Amino acid sequence: MLLPNVLGFLLFLLLPVLATFAISFSDWNLTDSFQWRGVDNYKELFEDKVFGQVFKNTFVFTLVSVPIGIALSLVLAVFLNQKLRFVRFYRAAFFIPVISSMVAVSVIWQWIYNPEYGLLNYALSWFGIDGPAWLTSPRWAMPAVIITSIWKSLGFNMLIFLAGLQSISDSYYEAADIDGAKWYSKFARITVPLLSPTTFFVTVMSFINSFQVFDTVYLMTQGGPARSTSVMVYYVFQNAFQYFRMGYASAMAYVLFFIVMIVTFIQFWRQKKWSVY
Amino acid sequence: MRKQLTAIAIPLSLALLATACGGNGNGNGNGSAAGGSASPSGSASSPASSGGGQKNEQVTLKFMGWEVSPLETESVKKGIESFMKSNPNIKVEYTTIPGGTQYVAKMQTLVLGNEAPDVFFLQSDYYSDFVKRKSLLDLTDRVQASGIAGDLIDSAVKLSTVDGKYYGIESCIVAPVLYYNKELFDKAGVPYPPSDPAKAWSWPEFVDAAKKLTVKNGDKTEQYGVYGLETYYNTIAEIMSNGGNWFSDDLTKSAANTPEVKEVLQAISDLRKKEGVAPEGKLLTNSGMSASQMLQTGKIAMLVDGSWALQELSNMNFEVGMAVLPKFKEAVTHGQAHLHVASANTKHPDEAWKLIEFLSSEEYQLQNVKAGLWLPNHKSLYSEEGIKKWLTPGVHPDGFEEMIPYFTSSKTYPYALLSSQKIQEDTSAELDKYFLGNQPLDKTVENIESVVNQNLQAQGK
Repeated sequence: MLLPNVLGFLLFLLLPVLATFAISFSDWNLTDSFQWRGVDNYKELFEDKVFGQVFKNTFVFTLVSVPIGIALSLVLAVFLNQKLRFVRFYRAAFFIPVISSMVAVSVIWQWIYNPEYGLLNYALSWFGIDGPAWLTSPRWAMPAVIITSIWKSLGFNMLIFLAGLQSISDSYYEAADIDGAKWYSKFARITVPLLSPTTFFVTVMSFINSFQVFDTVYLMTQGGPARSTSVMVYYVFQNAFQYFRMGYASAMAYVLFFIVMIVTFIQFWRQKKWSVY
Repeated sequence: MRKQLTAIAIPLSLALLATACGGNGNGNGNGSAAGGSASPSGSASSPASSGGGQKNEQVTLKFMGWEVSPLETESVKKGIESFMKSNPNIKVEYTTIPGGTQYVAKMQTLVLGNEAPDVFFLQSDYYSDFVKRKSLLDLTDRVQASGIAGDLIDSAVKLSTVDGKYYGIESCIVAPVLYYNKELFDKAGVPYPPSDPAKAWSWPEFVDAAKKLTVKNGDKTEQYGVYGLETYYNTIAEIMSNGGNWFSDDLTKSAANTPEVKEVLQAISDLRKKEGVAPEGKLLTNSGMSASQMLQTGKIAMLVDGSWALQELSNMNFEVGMAVLPKFKEAVTHGQAHLHVASANTKHPDEAWKLIEFLSSEEYQLQNVKAGLWLPNHKSLYSEEGIKKWLTPGVHPDGFEEMIPYFTSSKTYPYALLSSQKIQEDTSAELDKYFLGNQPLDKTVENIESVVNQNLQAQGK
């Protein structure tokens, strides 16, 4: 019974993972016979200015989008955990971006960001703000991509938080009410600590997903303008499938893998201190 | 995308035996039946002595290109129909995939997966990459036997060969030019830009005209003088006009960090940032209009774009003019175009060559040249007799004839001679930082110089 599963794992996961590692020490370009380059690919990475830039972009993307995304989805979850009218409708509405195709989402957001006819700049103009050319300005393209990414994943995190919130027993809140606690101390002293396992899960997943962001960038900006939105996975893709430098791309993929692994380890290690459980 | 893939992957070899042969004259009678209905059933015909292979079976060729405009696809399809009429034993299945870098990535994948189409378009910028990877069929003997090369202009021969060998034939020439909306010039009382290269505007004259053609309403500009120079494709024409180039003559080094290049980049950037006669950044995405539509609707008075845009512009119901680019030192433009190539793994090399030969023929070229999409690359089409064959009133604006020497003497587009994909992307990224961001000029050219040199060194040039 276990055999098909294990075979599948070996064939489609372990083998490619190991092969990638081997390829990262070669100059394979898919067609010609390849030569071993030792650690030259990794050395080149450190000298590659473009890699430096996409490395920075990836961190900016992650460090901005993860905290904002988590905070917003937590607030949203708390609101939608109350007995509001049409609460089910709102929950569904916020979840729709998650199940929408990224292609459709990016087309719509490209229109929203259109500087002359876009909704966003139209809304900004009510406040007398002359909105920027979002996706074509090196300064504003990254914020635009971050906004879209947050909007897209908000519903998923909200749903996880909602599940977490509903598993917190009402009796804590009742006890707090009897003691005369205000809403903010209930939120800070009961909700946040008891939600910490959920927050942990959401944080880890968000970090991993943000480090691996690709589709938003590929569909909305192609890494431009001036590589201002080019992230690591996008550069891996370019090297592998546009410049056909499989070895170099594999090395980069492994660097990314180690970064994600280290960040995740740190989170697991810190969890012991944060979590109430 | 996936659907397209499966459509392409549908097995093609319907090898029906028939006694058909691709005769030029005598295929006519039954050819219309076979070609017109595109049915795979064979058709009988008396054997003819055409130069190609004496193949008797029915062959299906997969042919792939991109769709830049529906007009272009239409003319390709028209061409294929006439090809199938005169070659009833060859059926051509034409598919388009999106253009640009996506096209190359997709084509590379098809080549690697052994799914490459028999014949396909290839951007000149990627030609030497494909040759280097041995993805293309060597056509040298066939080209020489056919005598086609003798009639090609020099730049076409240069761009079609890698180390003296042909792996494809350049389809035509396209070159950046200056378009203008005549009505706006009349309104502003500015004389039209000259189409005679000998009388080309100097850069200050050009800026002066652009200023007069910029119309402001309060602090909002309603009409800009010019648009389109901030891309490397168009920029390089002005750099060449200033006696510079992105690369050294032997293409081994970057020549970005030279006074010639810097002067031009500064001048182009000044158009927008100092003079305010060119619109902000990438206007296309800003307005949701194509550049041609901006010219048509009077948002811009002049447009720098490739000569291919004439097909669209001449169909747009406004008085469009075409002129040579403003000059720094001499009036020049550059020429290149996509190539028609065959896959190294094609099972039907003879038929593939026949199709390429047809696509390079005067007949096929004329059709696209007459529509304004292409400029011919046959010497014979630039003789006095030849020009008469294609110059079309209503498509080619007044003064077009004066521009012909401008095209025939166009300089070779250097990117077409290099493995240049990465170089182009790096250069574009730096130019974006300069034009759209605020990166200083000196830093921009230094960066371009260093990344390009690094890349060229890695190529072992």
